[in-house]
Amino acid sequence: MSGRVLSFPRRPLSSESGLKAAERILSTPIDERTTKARALHLEDPETLLALCGVLRTRLNSSPASVHDEAEFLYRFIESPRREIGLFDERDYFLGETALLAGTACRWLSRREEAWFWFDRAEAGFRHTMNAPGELSRLAYQRLAERLEERQLDLVIELLPSLVESFRKLGMYEDVLKCRFLEGLAHVEQDEPAAAISVFNQICREAEESGHDQLLAEAYVNLIHAHGMLGEANEAIEASRRAIPILKRLDNRIALGKVHWGLGILLREGGHFGEAIESYRKAQEDFEALGMRADIAALNLVVADLLLEQGQDREALREISAALPVIAELKMAPEGMAALSLVRESVRRQEINRQALRELHGYFQELQA
Amino acid sequence: MENPSSRRPDEVESVFGRALDVIHSALVSYYRLTEEEARGAEEDLFIWFQRLSRRGGAGQMPVKLLRVSLLSAACQYGRSFQLWKLGGEQSADRDLNDILSREPDEVASDLDRRSEEERS
Repeated sequence: MSGRVLSFPRRPLSSESGLKAAERILSTPIDERTTKARALHLEDPETLLALCGVLRTRLNSSPASVHDEAEFLYRFIESPRREIGLFDERDYFLGETALLAGTACRWLSRREEAWFWFDRAEAGFRHTMNAPGELSRLAYQRLAERLEERQLDLVIELLPSLVESFRKLGMYEDVLKCRFLEGLAHVEQDEPAAAISVFNQICREAEESGHDQLLAEAYVNLIHAHGMLGEANEAIEASRRAIPILKRLDNRIALGKVHWGLGILLREGGHFGEAIESYRKAQEDFEALGMRADIAALNLVVADLLLEQGQDREALREISAALPVIAELKMAPEGMAALSLVRESVRRQEINRQALRELHGYFQELQA
Repeated sequence: MENPSSRRPDEVESVFGRALDVIHSALVSYYRLTEEEARGAEEDLFIWFQRLSRRGGAGQMPVKLLRVSLLSAACQYGRSFQLWKLGGEQSADRDLNDILSREPDEVASDLDRRSEEERS
């Protein structure tokens, strides 16, 4: 007869004390935490629960620091092996911290790392008591990553099954999040009108259910989709609604995307100077968040506009800044041919406009 | 900083309270824990269940859907505790050996189904 014998640890902290302990930990430098682990209650499940909750809310405002914090927690729990809480709690926290790290990597376009973290998250969540709920959240992140890698057929194939899982589990906020992937897939397929219809439905449902975060992000996507169609009034109205909510929620990633969307709109209207200004603002936002892939993608968009204005030398500078980042982050697996052509044309100081457009066309809609 | 403890504590308590009879009966009648051991187990289960309901995924699910997870945890607790007491030996109690040889999740599903039937 065999079986895992459970340990019976000391009484844990209350949830209020866990929250205070989480605040103390986050204000302690990472390299000092392990030696102070006991005093900081770092092994306490209430502390870890509070930490995960806080990090989840910070994903949209500081993904790089969320990655570092989540990686620290994962490593701390994982090795040397620490017994955390009761029953499945160690496995849950391994899964949750890995999911946070992977999600942050996705935002930062660190694709390979994101996949490693998602695999670790699965290894943890598989052993939890409520595995379907946690694994479904992981499946959402994986599909979102696949969308960013333009594996649209797979996203469209798997999305209905994930929606069904969330419905069965009563996770209606996640059902709504899945609809974002549907809308974004339309954008990717150059179907902005279909995307607008989906995002408008999301707005209605998010407003009814009081999900401000989802509401604001749907507006941001509407800015992009209307911008693609040159529908200025609708795009501006969507940005007018999005910005106050995003500021209140400190969602800096989405605020950067608002500037990006307005840049698209201005470009479509032929206002190239203002469009560049708007793109620059988006780059500033992304710079503060460490989102190098997005900055590089915008360098290419700006280069195209500079060429339009006959500023070839400035355009060349933009492209030269973007190319090493694109190569390092392996941002263009499908656009390798265009990337090579652009690289070659930069070497010859004579930009291949068609290849540049192909390359930035590959990136720009990904941000919607 | 959001306070996760503010989420649905009454509902969690209520779902736990309604499952308590089934949990107690499983621990004492199936896994042969003493009354005192069962009470200790129930305290731990309550703390764990409160935290389960505040997890990333489980925190978004209706609490009543977490009932099966609670029963699974109770059965896992009962089985582990009894195995620890037996120290690797077989029990003279054949019913206990039978229940210990079954997966806790399977026992929990049976318990949940039976209690649903009784309520309807």
